[in-house]
Amino acid sequence: MKHFCKEASQLASDLFERNLTFVERLRLRMHLAICDMCRNYSSNLSLLNNIFSGTRDQAKEDETCLSDEDRKQIEIALDQAAHHHH
Amino acid sequence: MSKETSNPQTWLTDHGDYLFRYAISRLRNDELAKDMVQETLLAAWRGWDNFAGKSSVRTWLVGILKHKITDHIRKEIRDRRLAEAVESDPTSAWFGADGKWLEAPRAWKENPEELCESEQFQQVLQGCIEKLPDKQQVVFQMRELTGEDTETICNEVEISPTHLHVLIHRARLALRSCLDHHWFGGTRSQ
Repeated sequence: MKHFCKEASQLASDLFERNLTFVERLRLRMHLAICDMCRNYSSNLSLLNNIFSGTRDQAKEDETCLSDEDRKQIEIALDQAAHHHH
Repeated sequence: MSKETSNPQTWLTDHGDYLFRYAISRLRNDELAKDMVQETLLAAWRGWDNFAGKSSVRTWLVGILKHKITDHIRKEIRDRRLAEAVESDPTSAWFGADGKWLEAPRAWKENPEELCESEQFQQVLQGCIEKLPDKQQVVFQMRELTGEDTETICNEVEISPTHLHVLIHRARLALRSCLDHHWFGGTRSQ
């Protein structure tokens, strides 16, 4: 018997990327009902998805700034360009 | 002409951090992000005459930065010859010829909020992402770390949505397995 796991794993990933067709949803759901491994895979992906969206929200709250050193370097580069120009 | 100043030093003061954050969110690399900000300000200064004053200076600068980042990503892909779409099908590493899992995925019993805050976990996660093949890594980072949508990624990397979904799928297979080994069950001693 040919297992559906390989296809199911692609569909489980696509769930996060696009709208599945009715048939795809049905096939996936029916397979998950009988396959522990794919059910685990699918919930692993959900956990990862939660982690990534949590990390994205955190990153938004972080006020990352240019370091003083970076700022200095850019200032020098801009200065040089200005002198070169005149 | 708008009242905005054409002094790049002022742009750096007013918009530097904003541009830097934008670049970081796309590139995840401080040094590179700084270079992009610098190049953007230089290009803006050279192209000041083209600034029509129809938008704010910030919007105009972000527009330039976006181009710089896109160019960078394209170049990186070209350099690494990633544009050659044909990567061998790595799903054979996860599935047997009969389509069945070679290594059965296990249930992960951890709380996403705690994992988000765990420095250790973030390190393991980063390590696993870095092990992904180049092209998968690029699109996966854009997708999951930056949160770009399909259309944006496809435009920037010049691939079809179908191809993108296959790459993301492969990245998830590899990442899941790596995390399973290095965090959820494997070497992490209890």
